[in-house]
Amino acid sequence: MNAIHKYWQTILMTGLRPLDDEWWSLPGRYSLRFLRVLFLLSLWHTLLPTEGTTSGMTLHAVLTYTLIAEVFASQLSSRVALDTSLWQGDIANRFLRPMSIYCQYSAEMIGDWLLDLVLFSAPLVLIAPLFGVNPLPASPMAALLFTLSLTLGVAVGLALDFIFTAMMVFLEHSVYALMQIRNAISTLLSGAILPLAMLPWGLGDIFTYLPFASLASAPLRIYTGTGDPQFLITIQAAWALVLWPLARMLWRINRERLVSHGG
Amino acid sequence: MADKIHPISKIFRQWRVQAYLDFMWMTRDFKFCMINIVSDIILNLSGVAAVFLLAERFQGIGTWGTEQIIFMLGYAALVHGVMDMGFSYNIMHISRRIGRGQLDHILIQPQPIWIALLTEGFMPFSGSWSFFTGVGITIWSLTQIELSITFVWCLYFAINLLSSCAVVLGFSYLWGSLAFWAPVGAEEINSQTTRFVSQLRTFPLDGLGKRLQNGLLSILPVGFVAWYPSRALMHVAPPETLWHTPLAAFTFIILATLAFRKGLRYYEKTGSQRYLGWGHRG
Repeated sequence: MNAIHKYWQTILMTGLRPLDDEWWSLPGRYSLRFLRVLFLLSLWHTLLPTEGTTSGMTLHAVLTYTLIAEVFASQLSSRVALDTSLWQGDIANRFLRPMSIYCQYSAEMIGDWLLDLVLFSAPLVLIAPLFGVNPLPASPMAALLFTLSLTLGVAVGLALDFIFTAMMVFLEHSVYALMQIRNAISTLLSGAILPLAMLPWGLGDIFTYLPFASLASAPLRIYTGTGDPQFLITIQAAWALVLWPLARMLWRINRERLVSHGG
Repeated sequence: MADKIHPISKIFRQWRVQAYLDFMWMTRDFKFCMINIVSDIILNLSGVAAVFLLAERFQGIGTWGTEQIIFMLGYAALVHGVMDMGFSYNIMHISRRIGRGQLDHILIQPQPIWIALLTEGFMPFSGSWSFFTGVGITIWSLTQIELSITFVWCLYFAINLLSSCAVVLGFSYLWGSLAFWAPVGAEEINSQTTRFVSQLRTFPLDGLGKRLQNGLLSILPVGFVAWYPSRALMHVAPPETLWHTPLAAFTFIILATLAFRKGLRYYEKTGSQRYLGWGHRG
């Protein structure tokens, strides 16, 4: 019970932290995100015909894809604060806490989601019909499988985060530069902004097999009913199984190097 | 003695010092140098890749052909490059410096704040790779589109490019000044504004509704980063629009200066509360 309690407290503390001092900046932040959604929806209206399909997707499916990508933006690009810890040097304190390093970061990540889900995601889903977007999943089964796929996506994202951080320690390179690259590459290859099916030269078919596609493209395709759930979930599960042992191994090896640098 | 130096020569002298420091920092280790170069190129290319792929897939976007899109992407990459090269070390993300109490480091220097802001972020070596990526894309696009390149056109290009950079900087300072009043809450506000600008700067805005388009050319001036000046430079829009981006830059710089000065006056009374006993992020 105690073990769960400490993580629950961490989730709550992290979740409510923005209300201490950042609350007034939240409307500005959410307005920018809201405008970005409006912009992307308008872009698809410009590009795609109202009738028929493009690369197997109707305009309505693409609009739902874009909306849900923003609603679950944090979960589809799941990140822990490892890079910030390295940057600020408080990673050393993390090792002193009576909590697993993976679990404490994961708890903070879930905490970070709370306010976003309540103050931005839920309202966005509610007002989506005003913009002509149906926010509902393709079917009840799609909703169920989306939950499973999203969980696997988060697992793959976390593993990638630990791998990138371990590489960062190994290369002794700038935290900022490497995380920027990770963001840039994963945003493009994950399908979080553009559905992979909309890429030219059959690139989307290749990217589907990469771990980044497991983060966003797979769950979103399942949600919109534009992908084979069995195939997509199998790929996600395979990546989670491959990447987690790798992440643990790299982290274990490089943790010693990290300590030798003094945090 | 120091007061007798003309501000312009002082700027050049400080740029020279910054260039030397940047060169030494960049070349201190071969592996580090190579990672830096490759990461900057990847970062800038991936920033424009999404729109390029979309344009390639749909043979253009809206009324824009693929070649015109590439020109706009090159222009956007150049703006990004200039900002990287000239306003690094959080000069662009001024909310971080204000929020972390680092503005004091500038205030104690025997020089005007504007000179410090104009020179401290200069990274001509480590920051130039984004710029060169932009140069490459722009030159390649110019070989693809039929455009008569004259001296006057090049002059307009340079003026518009610098104006776009000024718009980005002005927008950043306008929002970043909020950190004077809320150092913790607004410390990362420039990360939000920069992300918003960098995500949308590469999209042509023609197909958007008039209201959204106007919003993106005023309150959130994403359109002036690449789309609007590119239209003017490619003669898609009337010639008089070539002066609209410089006009917008002038307006944003004035507004940003007013906001920053107002914030600074408040800061003079309150100072920084961030240097606490248990660390600067307390």
